Amino acid sequence: MSTVISTMRHVRGFDFARPLSIGMLIFMMLPLVFLPLASIFLFGTNKGLASFWAALSAPEAIFALKLSLATSFWATVFNVIFGLFAAYVLSRHNFWGRNALIVTISLPTAIPTAVAGFALLLLWGPYGTLGRFLSPHGIQIMFTGGAIILANIFVTFPLAFGVIKPVFDTMSRSLEEASATMGATRIQTFWHVTLPSLRGAIVSGALLTFARAVGEFGSTILVSGNLAGRTQTAPLYIFAKFNEGQIEAANAIAIVLALFSFLIFSVLFVARDWFDVD
Amino acid sequence: MFAKRQTERISDKTPSPSKDNRPAPVAASVIGLSKRFGKSSVLENINFHVAEGELLVLLGASGSGKTTILRIIAGLEDPDTGSVILHHKDVSDLPARERGVGVIFQSYALFPKMTVEKNIGYGLRIRKRKRKEIKATVNELISLVQLEEHRKKYPSQLSGGQQQRVAIARTLAYKPDVLLFDEPFGALDAQTRTHLRREIRRLLKKVNVPSIFITHDQEEALELGDRIAVLNVGHIEQIGTPHEVYNHPATEYVATFLGAANILSGNLRGNTFEMGAAKLPVRADPARFREGQAVKLVFRPEDVVLSHSGDLPVGYYCLAKGVVEEASFAGAYERVSLRLDLSGADSCETPTSQFYLTTETPESAATSKPIIANLSKAVASGVRVKSGDRVTVGLNSYTLLPDRGR
Repeated sequence: MSTVISTMRHVRGFDFARPLSIGMLIFMMLPLVFLPLASIFLFGTNKGLASFWAALSAPEAIFALKLSLATSFWATVFNVIFGLFAAYVLSRHNFWGRNALIVTISLPTAIPTAVAGFALLLLWGPYGTLGRFLSPHGIQIMFTGGAIILANIFVTFPLAFGVIKPVFDTMSRSLEEASATMGATRIQTFWHVTLPSLRGAIVSGALLTFARAVGEFGSTILVSGNLAGRTQTAPLYIFAKFNEGQIEAANAIAIVLALFSFLIFSVLFVARDWFDVD
Repeated sequence: MFAKRQTERISDKTPSPSKDNRPAPVAASVIGLSKRFGKSSVLENINFHVAEGELLVLLGASGSGKTTILRIIAGLEDPDTGSVILHHKDVSDLPARERGVGVIFQSYALFPKMTVEKNIGYGLRIRKRKRKEIKATVNELISLVQLEEHRKKYPSQLSGGQQQRVAIARTLAYKPDVLLFDEPFGALDAQTRTHLRREIRRLLKKVNVPSIFITHDQEEALELGDRIAVLNVGHIEQIGTPHEVYNHPATEYVATFLGAANILSGNLRGNTFEMGAAKLPVRADPARFREGQAVKLVFRPEDVVLSHSGDLPVGYYCLAKGVVEEASFAGAYERVSLRLDLSGADSCETPTSQFYLTTETPESAATSKPIIANLSKAVASGVRVKSGDRVTVGLNSYTLLPDRGR
């Protein structure tokens, strides 16, 4: 990923606008982005690494991190497979209502997460539209890990689809036709020809979904029940500890989540180049 | 040379192209293909066959339906009626993957995530052949198309010509019944095209796989094909050897599509074509023509000779007198535009006067007809013509067509 930035050649001598504009950009970002991020790290480490580790290794903290990773993982698996399938269907077949379907898939990003969580509660809750038929049989979906996965799936629904579909759209049909004339079945063609071209999109779609799911708060707090050590994810843990006044405990997890998102973001940045080399 | 060319005149049928006299067995044929998209008819009753080892070119302008024919043979599209026969087997109802045809797509459609080797071995891997056998075949094909040092490269690292050779090798690997080429030179520059077309012809003759090649480029068709089928908006106008379709076009469309052609409208009188004062002896097949019928005379610019003296080379017939309007240098030949004098004031029989004065009046425009002559360098150096010259126009090769427009 290298772009050549041409320097401004129309100004003679030293161009004062250059350092000035760059400086201004950084100055504006300071209170908005840099300082908030920096304060997490400054505050989390000002009592020494020992207290940071202690806060991090609290059983409830570890559980919250693990729960976040596990639920996000399953939501990602589902949404990538679904996104792949949906992108295939919607870019290969033209049918009545196709655009409506595309809009519907993309809708969850526009819905406030609290509304999403509330909607799930109304559907699957003990007195919900479907939930009330399940609860007499002892089946309870809400306030479990499953509920968190459901919420994660809902809010990250269009992310993988959104990354994979454009690749499908621009992929030349003649590749698949060539494979067919060479004797391959649809499944063989998909596996050997279509899928390899989608590797980069699948990886970045997955990372995007995962990163978004790990940080999900609004819907999770409604559907999970927020029970420490049982249904409390990392963001909920931060919120709970902050409310209890345990700033260090909250901060330790916040640092982990922030670092984690940095990591995913850097991988995303190079993922396309890694997987799409040809 | 002139005497030899005379034998190819008018409606003589040239012998079949095969060197021995028994025709090669039919490898593939399409019978009665028709297709409509909505209200417009794309193909109307298309019939042709390809012999074993033969290279047939489907030549047509865009929208002539040639790509649709190719896709129907490959099984990528269904015809409304008609069938496709490959080696005596009706494959009309088989899906593309069971037909065993090789398609070389316009953009080559090489698999971008596979190396040259993997691309070539794909058809065999799909067929679950033994690894050893795949390796042997791939090696053989790589050396056939001379890509030894590129075998580990990806398609994006190859030139257009190399990609094309991979595309061909990839289909040859599974021994297709027929090879189909979908305008494979479309994306290349003119020089590479000429070079590749010769290379491909050599390669195809070597592997001896029957091939159907579609193109809109008449030069490509003439050079590449053993036979050419000329398509015009969904039907075949003529099928024949390059020699036949070029020198004996069956229709006006074929005549004009395969290079420049002069067309004169006249009438048939006995064994003579008449257009005003212009007359030419013809051999009209009584099955196709009747006395007095409106006909068209078609001839190529390079079959015209001009003479100041009125004397024509052996085998040439005088058509009429004409006035040179413009003579321009076109590299390989000299291009001369003339107006034929149809007034009868000065016919073929009377000797030409070098100092005949011509004045272009509306009346003379009505009794004159513009034509083009291409004089080869050798001829042009013998007969120097300049604008305003009055010359005798001679022809040695021409075709008579019924004029359906009148």
